[in-house]
Amino acid sequence: MIYFTELEHLPIYGVKGEYLGRLEDLCVDPSQNALRVASYLVKTPKKTIICITHEQMQSLSVRAGQTRVPREEVRCYAPDEGLLKVKKDILDQQIIDVNNRKVVRVNDVDFDIQPTDQHTELRIIGVNVGLAAALRRLLQGLMAKHTVRMITSLFPTKIIPWEFVNLIEPDPQRRIKLRLSYDRVAELHPADIADILEELGRDEQKAVIEGLDEETAAQALSEIPTRMQADLLESISAQKAADIVEEMPPDEAADVLHELSPETSAEVLADMEKDEANEVRELLGFEENTAGALMTTEYVVVHESATVEGAITALKSFEGAIESIHAIHLVDNTAVLTAAVPVGRILLSEASMPLKEIGSDSLISVPSHSDANSVVDLFHKYNLISLPVVDDSGHLLGVVTADDVLELVINKKQFRRRG
Amino acid sequence: VNRERLRRFRMQLLIFLAVLGPGIITANVDNDAGGIYTYSVAGAKFGYSLLWTLLPITVALVVVQEMVARMGVVTGKGLADLIREEYGFRTTFILMMLLLAADLGNTIAEFAGLASGMSVFGVTRYIAVPLGALLVWALVVKGTYRFVEKVFLAACVFYVAYPVSCFLAHPKWPDAVISTLKPSFQFSAGYFYMLTGVVGTTIAPWMQFYLQAAVVEKGIKVKEYIYSRWDVIVGCIITDVVAFFIIVACAATIYMSGNRQINDAGDAALALRPLAGHAASVLFAFGLCNASLFSACILPLATAYYVCEGLGLEAGINKRFHEAPTFYWLYTTLIVLGALAVMLLSEAKQIPIILLSQVANGILLPFVLIFMLRLVNRDDLMGKYKNSRLFNNIAWVTCVVMIALTLLLVVSTFFPNKLPS
Repeated sequence: MIYFTELEHLPIYGVKGEYLGRLEDLCVDPSQNALRVASYLVKTPKKTIICITHEQMQSLSVRAGQTRVPREEVRCYAPDEGLLKVKKDILDQQIIDVNNRKVVRVNDVDFDIQPTDQHTELRIIGVNVGLAAALRRLLQGLMAKHTVRMITSLFPTKIIPWEFVNLIEPDPQRRIKLRLSYDRVAELHPADIADILEELGRDEQKAVIEGLDEETAAQALSEIPTRMQADLLESISAQKAADIVEEMPPDEAADVLHELSPETSAEVLADMEKDEANEVRELLGFEENTAGALMTTEYVVVHESATVEGAITALKSFEGAIESIHAIHLVDNTAVLTAAVPVGRILLSEASMPLKEIGSDSLISVPSHSDANSVVDLFHKYNLISLPVVDDSGHLLGVVTADDVLELVINKKQFRRRG
Repeated sequence: VNRERLRRFRMQLLIFLAVLGPGIITANVDNDAGGIYTYSVAGAKFGYSLLWTLLPITVALVVVQEMVARMGVVTGKGLADLIREEYGFRTTFILMMLLLAADLGNTIAEFAGLASGMSVFGVTRYIAVPLGALLVWALVVKGTYRFVEKVFLAACVFYVAYPVSCFLAHPKWPDAVISTLKPSFQFSAGYFYMLTGVVGTTIAPWMQFYLQAAVVEKGIKVKEYIYSRWDVIVGCIITDVVAFFIIVACAATIYMSGNRQINDAGDAALALRPLAGHAASVLFAFGLCNASLFSACILPLATAYYVCEGLGLEAGINKRFHEAPTFYWLYTTLIVLGALAVMLLSEAKQIPIILLSQVANGILLPFVLIFMLRLVNRDDLMGKYKNSRLFNNIAWVTCVVMIALTLLLVVSTFFPNKLPS
């Protein structure tokens, strides 16, 4: 194992022992091999940068490096955006530790020296974020390398294996060249992705959101504060923003559009699918902190004469997030809400059973203009997990679910500092 | 049309109030025990004659603070983070250690200010300081974010004690106003030393780190930046308005009385009693206690926070002790050391620590300002929000003057007799 801090400024010699210069940076070419150091950038005494390819490197140690070709065969370095530079792109930057689901700053990069028959290769093992690595950064160059190793070995070290490291590159074109993907981040729980997003700077947040598929992006965005959601959506293209908002539950979508500037909000709505946009538009019409603003328009409704079988058909054809459906709502011919049937009861009943007979004994609903606090009270008093919202004539408009109420209550409760 | 305009105005006012905070809180912490002492001495020794410096100081403060606030809004990263990414680990580590030394000195000064303010009310430092330290520690560690924010805002309001105290001192307002607008200069070592002191106390390195972190923490949007700029400007003006009233109050009383020697800010409050009445004295001391506690609360917390951030360690009150041990140890140690130093060390023995802190500040400021100026001009970081050429010239001149004055302050602290008189 050898650390980048030990390699940095390493003297490099040519095949005949002539001094070439000091090692400046290491390049990885992700298009060929994402683990191997593809070339070594060396600063000559004349301050020019030469580029030694991995095949040209004969040997490497903590003391020096030697090429297997004479100076004349080594090319000058031509800047290449497709190369990942260890010092410039990794060291001291924030990366996502996919395994531990958090954002960390890189203190050092660890390599393995692998002598092959003709030359020597360096392979990336992982990034170092521990105290020992920090100390190594401080001491390296001030004393002998083995002394530094001895001292730092007394301190805890923390290595993140390279396969769990997700780099963040703000420039989308370079992201493609470096073959960076956020597939492994996308596999994390949306709440964990949200925590990661909150830790990042503005450009980095944008990079991660752009790298995720719309559905994951929407789920992760739903978990971060509305102000930050709006800020992020405003920073990406309206089309991408519309795609993400479409995937959000309509009530969340309405909340975030409410926070956007009127121009951006209109732009995003225009780019959304018609049906989704209309649902959100309806919700946007309700005043803040009312039952109407809290509710979602994703719910299942059937005619009051329907049977259990009909209810199951309705559930099967439902296109929204099925896990948020706790009850099926019954309406009469004029769309007035008459009953709500918990999904559990439907599961346990015969297919031919009329829904009316297994519905809740008393119908609890709330007018759309009533205050959010009274909605919380109703949930508390009747131990609800969902509550239908109606207009003044009793027409079903939407449903408030327990998760939204919980969020409301938590937001009102005092947040822990920097929470 | 009028109604539409009114609606727009109300909308803008609401956004401003939501964005408001970081600039004003930073500015008020700036008027801490050390600041109040410096302004009191400036008024007591030189009367109204240093008032004119407040206008250029306000401009310099706005120029510098505006840049960090802008960097915070645009990049969403703290200053320590940006310096680490650009200048590497070792530079950041050295900066953070200097910052730690400087802030330890500042924390001691805050508790000394508290002791001196409470002594006016007849409370001994052996009760006032440990109680204050415990209060500060518990407020932040046990308190909730909203509660803490309310306490901070209330603390900001209490600075009104100084203007009231100043009015009770019945200053000669025309003289004060003329001295503020018309620069004057005395060619003496003492005057020059005081001038650098007033400037040095107003622009400190930690403020830049704190303000940028606070802006990021608040999550201010790029579109709201214009309001954030006003937050900074209002904050800077408040700082110097408070400074104005402190200088004027002391000038109108202590300077006029002829006995111009005061040793700490509490002395100033006591000296006001026979000259401006009991109420003015009590208000002055109350303002000092409030400012000291307020700053003793924010400084150690902010220090622990950005030191950990710069070094890539876990930080934040919402983390548990074993998750962010360095953060909690730093925070607790700063408060405990600050309080202990004031209780156990005689004033003579506190001086080396305060000196060390001043030196640390003096070394830090050039680096912080130059790093800031280079970062704020980086295309990839700031895009269209980087400095305009005109603003850049103003900023460079401001920073060079600030650096020169701060270095002079450090030198003159060590060699008080070497200045030409």
